[in-house]
Amino acid sequence: MAQEDFTAELESELEQRIMVLDGAMGTTIRSYGLDETAARGDRYANNEKDLLNNGDILSITQPQVIADIHKRFYEAGSDICETNTFSATGIAQSEFFVEDPREKGGRKDPEFFQKILENDFLNELAWEMNVKGSQLARKMADDIGTDTGVKRYVAGAIGPLTVSLSNSPDAEDASFRVVTFDQVLEAYRKQVRGLIEGGCDILMIETIFDSLNAKAAAVAVREIFDEDNVSLPVIISAAVGLGGETMISAQKVGALWNAFAHSKPLAIGLNCSLGPDLMRPFLEELSEVSGTYISAYPNAGLPNPLAPTGFDLEPLHMKEYMKEFAQSGLLNFAGGCCGNTPEHVRAIAEGVRGVAPRKVPR
Amino acid sequence: MNQIKPALRLSGTEAYNHDEAKGFLMIGERTNVAGSPQFAKLVRANDLEAAIEVARQQVANGANVIDICFDDGLIDGKAMMAKYLDLLQGEPDVARVPIMVDSSKWEILEEGLKHLQGKGIVNSISLKEGEEIFKKNAKHIMKYGAAVVVMAFDEKGQAATYDEKIRICERAYRILVDEVGFNQNDIIFDPNILTVATGIEEHNNYAIDFINATRWIKENLPGAKISGGVSNISFSFRGNNKVREAMHSAFLYHAIQAGMDMGIVNAGMLEVYDEIPKDLLECVEDVLLNRRDDSTDRLLDLAESYKGVSGKKVEEDLSWREQPVEKRLEYALLKGIDRFIDEDTEDARVKYGRPLKVIEGPLMDGMGVVGDLFGAGKMFLPQVVKSARVMKKAVAWLFPYMEAEKAENLAGDIEAIQAKNPGMSFDDALKVAERGNSAGRFLIATVKGDVHDIGKNIVGVVLSCNGFEVTDMGVMVSCDKILDRAIELGADVIGLSGLITPSLDEMVHVAKEMERRGFTVPLLIGGATTSAAHTAIKIAEHYSGPVVHVLDASRSVPVTTSLLSKDGRDEFVRELREKQRISRENFLGGPKKETLTLEQARAAGPKYDWDAYTPPVPSFTGTRTLEPAINELVPYIDWTPFFHAWELRGVWDREKKELKTKNEGGAAEAKKLYAEACEYLEKLVTEKRLQARGIYGFFPANADGDDIIVWNEDGTERTRFHTLRQQLKKTSGKPNVALSDWLAAEKKDYIGGFVVGIHGADEYAKELDAANDPYGSIMVKAIADRLAEACAEMLHHKARIEWGYEAEGELTKDALIHENYQGIRPAPGYPAQPDHTEKPILFDLLAATDATGVYLTESCAMHPGAAVSGIYFSHPESHYFALSELQKDQIEDYAKRKGMTLAEAEKWLGPWLGY
Repeated sequence: MAQEDFTAELESELEQRIMVLDGAMGTTIRSYGLDETAARGDRYANNEKDLLNNGDILSITQPQVIADIHKRFYEAGSDICETNTFSATGIAQSEFFVEDPREKGGRKDPEFFQKILENDFLNELAWEMNVKGSQLARKMADDIGTDTGVKRYVAGAIGPLTVSLSNSPDAEDASFRVVTFDQVLEAYRKQVRGLIEGGCDILMIETIFDSLNAKAAAVAVREIFDEDNVSLPVIISAAVGLGGETMISAQKVGALWNAFAHSKPLAIGLNCSLGPDLMRPFLEELSEVSGTYISAYPNAGLPNPLAPTGFDLEPLHMKEYMKEFAQSGLLNFAGGCCGNTPEHVRAIAEGVRGVAPRKVPR
Repeated sequence: MNQIKPALRLSGTEAYNHDEAKGFLMIGERTNVAGSPQFAKLVRANDLEAAIEVARQQVANGANVIDICFDDGLIDGKAMMAKYLDLLQGEPDVARVPIMVDSSKWEILEEGLKHLQGKGIVNSISLKEGEEIFKKNAKHIMKYGAAVVVMAFDEKGQAATYDEKIRICERAYRILVDEVGFNQNDIIFDPNILTVATGIEEHNNYAIDFINATRWIKENLPGAKISGGVSNISFSFRGNNKVREAMHSAFLYHAIQAGMDMGIVNAGMLEVYDEIPKDLLECVEDVLLNRRDDSTDRLLDLAESYKGVSGKKVEEDLSWREQPVEKRLEYALLKGIDRFIDEDTEDARVKYGRPLKVIEGPLMDGMGVVGDLFGAGKMFLPQVVKSARVMKKAVAWLFPYMEAEKAENLAGDIEAIQAKNPGMSFDDALKVAERGNSAGRFLIATVKGDVHDIGKNIVGVVLSCNGFEVTDMGVMVSCDKILDRAIELGADVIGLSGLITPSLDEMVHVAKEMERRGFTVPLLIGGATTSAAHTAIKIAEHYSGPVVHVLDASRSVPVTTSLLSKDGRDEFVRELREKQRISRENFLGGPKKETLTLEQARAAGPKYDWDAYTPPVPSFTGTRTLEPAINELVPYIDWTPFFHAWELRGVWDREKKELKTKNEGGAAEAKKLYAEACEYLEKLVTEKRLQARGIYGFFPANADGDDIIVWNEDGTERTRFHTLRQQLKKTSGKPNVALSDWLAAEKKDYIGGFVVGIHGADEYAKELDAANDPYGSIMVKAIADRLAEACAEMLHHKARIEWGYEAEGELTKDALIHENYQGIRPAPGYPAQPDHTEKPILFDLLAATDATGVYLTESCAMHPGAAVSGIYFSHPESHYFALSELQKDQIEDYAKRKGMTLAEAEKWLGPWLGY
């Protein structure tokens, strides 16, 4: 079922107000205290590798948990929730289901990943994750949208993969890549189709630490749109380091915008890796150069393994930071990444409520 | 509202936005096999290192974009395009700029697009094969996101004349903009720069045709840019660089005026138009502008006289080569330049004697700088990796020397090992000896449950480049597999990586298992959610071997090197354990120490022979105010804390005016800082921006238990200070003191008090902040703090003289600063009396606010910030001390003495409570 294109509707909403994204999926899942048995369910009870940290599989084995997380975020004020599909590609899922050749002295290379791309089990699994993951969010968006009279949207999350097209893991050969562009493209194409099939309104290429991976995702989106005659708004969001560079491929935010402007994204922004304080200068830079809407969903501070949630900032802090971002005219979408609970999102929503959205420079 | 100007927006890792204001965009041509036979030769010979160096030089010489082309019958263009672009991504200096992917074959162009993370330029497409293919290719380019060069070519061939050029360009433009939806700012026309002075008459107007077509396109096709291969124009003069360069530069001069935006040139080898010899320029322009019928012949004649005159030489800044070898190595590592690394490494080897000393010395120092810059967000991962690759070359140079050294040592080592382990076979002893000489085997894995791979891979690469034998077990690796493999390999170090929170528990599990299975090798912990504190508190305690947190890939090398260094290991591990112990204590509040009851503590107070002691009598009682000039205070300044405020550790030597520190850079920095501080100080003095105001006084007083009573002249109680007593049980035999111990209880004695403040600094700092001078602002505040302390020191000096127990000039300023004098001036809120609420008592006693303008906020902080207050004690045994672990019995007693509730007292003394 092809989705309607809500670009115009979203744009008119974005001229009026800052829209609210959701918080963290991964760190919120952990608060449910699931164990390995629960994560595996009956279906994967005999899987060789652990699945507890395979968050995306919970859309299949513990759908009520994922649905509940979406529900809590929508109730806390999210206009848009991201699907639980961050790693729903054959390539990313292979880590949980296929033996790592390096354990026995082998290596991961394009030959290895070609087999992964041809692995029916992984392809079907990824497809199911994307479709089910989207449907779970879709149902909650529609239910809560109807209940509250405020329309909610579903954004299909397209994560960065566990492989990099820009980095060589071989000390002897700087030109070596474990995977090819076409392989990454193929994996993303399947994901994009699955997300659309499951009923997403928006596609989000996010947590970009390697811009070439993200470019493959953007090409996949374009190709599927053209082939299937669909068009959905797309959000591009990068994870940058302390110098404002995509963490692995070291692309500065201005360069990132130039590299993705052709895809006419609904928004471009930053998420993950940094807390709001450290993210701010780069968000400001991006906001200045980008001729489209800006999104920001920082982590709740830097990771702190000794803090109870793993992150330092509390809802009140996030509220203050995001409010200040909004008042400085930097925001069109606000949310939180790692460490942000529904309470954080509620606070962020309060912080940005009533503050005029950033005007897109045209 | 912010406007975004139309521009050709390109990027590598950095953005390059080309608009009218930018001038001419230089596209480096030397990485084009057609443009540079030398480059073609390198690529054919598969000498890609040298081929990469060509790209680096083009960028260093100012190319804004580099053109990359492998259209050559002897090269697999598609594979080489992929490989070369992947290599460039590992060269941060080159990856910065946008790439022009150049080929006449579409499949090579598309392959190029699959290897560009930024927005590059495709060079080129045309209408040569008809509209359908043209549109299809343009759509593909849009999908990847790139600008495009459109050649003025159509189904009939190349446009040579002005009319053909503009007709074809307009047609292509309309298709791209109207039908394909291409961004008009991303369209670049190449209207064909064709060779002039060929002797064929039709060719004479080629330059003019290009220039005129350029003008027409810029006027009629909005947004479109003009580019061209400039060296084509002078092809008839090949072999005569002087003339060719003059032609290029004169041609560009005119074409740019007509609107040409960019050109493919040999960056760094463009003659400056104004510097072209007059006669040459005239002839060249005659040819280009087709001004005379005989212009070609005239230029050919003149060209003879320039034959063999070399063209402009590419200049390269090599001034860093003059530095000492350590600096050269550091520079090479920082910039990722491997061109001189062999000779520099050799110089260092000769200088340091042993190859290992070079690695552990200058090379490791260089990597340390890389680590610092990465930690500060000033270098990025690809640069770290590139540095490591340079390091690898240096290590490779040293390798044969280490092997030779090893061989020399081996025989002796084997003997020694056999002597130690009688009965060990020669083969086993050989193995052990070899192990002792290896840089080390490093086993690395992402722990069970975690799939994050890339960061760990980078650590692996960086370590391999530094000569370690790295075995990477991949991701999701269970504990037993890691440890089994470690035994099998004889790993010297195990590194665990993880990015998600649950991995932390798995790391704890591995540490416990290592302990249980009797491992002793170091365990390294890394990954985004890990931290030094977590490692110290939660992981290290489970394993008796060293457990080290590694912040990032760049830090893995010095840590591993230290852990495996014969000479440095013990010291490193000792320091590590000490740091981790402190970290644990801070977290857990330290081990519970034995304490005394208040009664016991009082009994353990000092016993002085008060009968044999006559307290000194001050020359006056009551208060005196003082407003010293700022320059009077300068000699009393203790600079050491000033440098601490700037994070420079060490002790300031007043005589030599230098910071005594192990860190050479720090000492140099301190010297600079001191000079600047002196300038600021002078400015503050001459501009009279600061005023010092102080009050001090003496009062009759006596101890009353742990209180101090201050008397009126008439013998009635004027006010009362409350002091606290140490309650930790002391094994040293020293007494448990309270401040009241240093006043007599039953014979006439005195106490003093003071408040000083430096006014004007906060206001001045605010002004500087507003003027965007945060450095000046911090400087002024830091200096004011020092002046307040200096003023307190001066006052105290004065007070001691007036108290009659110190003679004027008895002590040097240095002795004063080191507090080598009798008596103390503790301040409420500091370790000897942490309760800030004693401050109002002091302020009231002195009526300090009226006299000095220093006032107390609700939380008993002093305002202005640069202020000091305290109580004077004269007793020869009086000294500074610290309180900790105060027990409830004392706090109850103290609250009662002060007339506070227990809760209030606990609130003010929170951090000092031991219950």
